[in-house]
Amino acid sequence: MSSNLNNTIEKVLADDRSDENDVRTATAPHQRDFPYDREEEAQVTRREFCNFLGLTSAALFVGAAGFAGKAIIDARQTPQFSASKIEGAEDLIPGSALNFRYPTAKDSAILIRTHDGELHAFGQKCTHLACPVYFERAHQRLECPCHDGAFDAKTGNVLYGPPPRPLDPIKLEIRADGAVWAVAREAGSSEDPI
Amino acid sequence: MQSHQSKAQPIHKLAGKGRTAVAQARLILLVMVNVAQLWILAATVEAALAQQFSALLPLVIASGLCFVVTLTLIFWWRPASRRFTSSGYIKR
Repeated sequence: MSSNLNNTIEKVLADDRSDENDVRTATAPHQRDFPYDREEEAQVTRREFCNFLGLTSAALFVGAAGFAGKAIIDARQTPQFSASKIEGAEDLIPGSALNFRYPTAKDSAILIRTHDGELHAFGQKCTHLACPVYFERAHQRLECPCHDGAFDAKTGNVLYGPPPRPLDPIKLEIRADGAVWAVAREAGSSEDPI
Repeated sequence: MQSHQSKAQPIHKLAGKGRTAVAQARLILLVMVNVAQLWILAATVEAALAQQFSALLPLVIASGLCFVVTLTLIFWWRPASRRFTSSGYIKR
């Protein structure tokens, strides 16, 4: 029994095939086309790692400056709004909501008819990290599923959660034929851009 | 009675260990600065989306300072020369 075991161990040790050899065999054609030294590639020198960290630091700084710059430039621009009819708004039953696009086809918005029959519309982006908010019928409020924030359905003010400011309100106009039109979207932030 | 006396190491070996320690500390500092910058970038994105403009400038300045610290660590913060150290002239 013991000799069998020893024989097996010796046989395994004598066999030079291993996972590494299998990998080398499998990747041989690729190695021929794109030759590189495996051992050399596995090593990263201290200097290379230092340079990599320096480049990462530069990229992070440029990213932060870029985000800040874009936010300020966007806020300085005064957008021109054109009136847009909200299809199906007149048939909206109290205590329900309707999604529409305003001011552009890329901007989703939400129209709410509260139990007292009033209409309110807001941009659908949560002011925390821009997740789309939805109308929660049971509690009659707008909720953000991403980080558990909530907004008042009438005013758009923050009820709880991480959002730092109210939702962007959209001005509505009810015309003679009863159709509901979105006419403008107000600035969301009370702060002036630098 | 057991003695705990260790063998005295040659001074050039000690200096080598010191240099390695300084180089490793430098790398650790660089990684820590990168992590701080990542956190600052996350805060900047959040402030930009929330249109909290008053927070943007300090965050960008903080990120810039971190970048300057990284540059100083890479270009000027090096282990002392093996020939001349605080413990004197070592290399033969």
